[in-house]
Amino acid sequence: MIELFKLMRNKRMFMLMIGFILFIAVIGFSLSDRKESTWPEKFLNDSVVYVQQWFYKPAGYIAGFFEDIGNLRLIYEENEQLRLTAAAYSRDKIKYNFVEKENERLTDALSFTERQKQMYNYTYLIAQVVSVSNDANNRAMKINLGSESGIKPNMAVTTIDGLIGLISSVTPFTATVTPITELDEASPTFNSIAATILGRENESFGILSSYNKETSRLVMTKIAENDKMTVTDTVITSGLGNVYPRGLVIGSVESLQVGDFGLTYTASVKLAASFDHLTEVFVVKVPELEDAGQ
Amino acid sequence: MSMNRIIMLILLLFILEGAVMPWIIPEGLGSRIIPHFVFVSVIFSALYSGRHQALLLGVSFGFLQDIIYFGHLLGAHAFIMGLIGYFTGVLLERRRATVMMALSIIGFACILYDSVIFFIYKVFRITSETYAWALLNHILPSLFLQLAFALACYVPARRLFEAQTKANPDKDGE
Repeated sequence: MIELFKLMRNKRMFMLMIGFILFIAVIGFSLSDRKESTWPEKFLNDSVVYVQQWFYKPAGYIAGFFEDIGNLRLIYEENEQLRLTAAAYSRDKIKYNFVEKENERLTDALSFTERQKQMYNYTYLIAQVVSVSNDANNRAMKINLGSESGIKPNMAVTTIDGLIGLISSVTPFTATVTPITELDEASPTFNSIAATILGRENESFGILSSYNKETSRLVMTKIAENDKMTVTDTVITSGLGNVYPRGLVIGSVESLQVGDFGLTYTASVKLAASFDHLTEVFVVKVPELEDAGQ
Repeated sequence: MSMNRIIMLILLLFILEGAVMPWIIPEGLGSRIIPHFVFVSVIFSALYSGRHQALLLGVSFGFLQDIIYFGHLLGAHAFIMGLIGYFTGVLLERRRATVMMALSIIGFACILYDSVIFFIYKVFRITSETYAWALLNHILPSLFLQLAFALACYVPARRLFEAQTKANPDKDGE
């Protein structure tokens, strides 16, 4: 006991202890399920991100210029490919129009409620990435749209390639995107995402539960035994549960194994989007209806 | 006045490492080479200015980083940056460190910083990777970036911090 008092008389030791307790308290506060950031956080975020966006975009232009020079050769091939895609698109567009009309007629005939009709009417808000976190275990990104533009936590964020993450916190003019690489079952701060396979939306189902950083693949679990999922299938979000929108590309199946208990399958999914040198991202806004939360 | 300039410069570094460095690092290495320029300047301040200033700078800029890039926890960077800055100061503030000395101190401090941050996340079960993997994946590759930055900024940083200490010596001396 006397030893302890002697230790406490040492000012440096005492301050260290106080600091440590404060640190644990702050961590505990931040780990609790906070609905909204506090106002100093909002103020700091808004002002720093306001300055950061002056730097990120010009740097991107300069880096992009040199990349473009490097890619000059590839443009011809890319053009050829785009022409093929455009042709396929115009064919599909006609088909889509017919199907949409048909769908509209049927929903009217079956007297869908307004909520059911609007459920999949997503809007895509275009946002600019302004900075990337310099913490290897938390690669959060800041975007320059916030709650003033209607952004809310848990909205999905995509690039043209595929899903990259979810909005984790919002301030009036900025939002933080937690990349999908932070997905972890055991983590207290992130949810799992329901997924399905493009082209077999009604038959396949799996849950994206975690991201394996060592192999840099997403782990999709709880796949039924009789699922016809095969390697190279495209994985998309299923929208079941109505938290995340449906139909966002995530990646492609790379391998299938029998899961932990032998009753279900697990697949490893290669992400479609890349996280380096991001510029524009899209925040997917799910239409808001009064009873949507229930 | 000089202190204001130091704070402005570190703030600029903070903004640059978030907004410009992602473009300079080649594509594909974005999650492996991670800049910690603010931390390096905190160590510089501990070496050439004093432990109390390093503690203050470390805690405030660490907390700034925690708030801006809030993902899982608040306060981890503030605590570790302040603590490492302070103890570097306790060990070495009286000796006038040479280039090699400063670089090796910064190297060790960076490894320590990244490792402690990793273990904090591990304790709260936010990451589930092994330490060996983290060491090879990002701690060692980003160490080289930090050392290169420290070498490039050695002369101006030393001049800046020593001038600041000379301007108000009564503050830090005990």
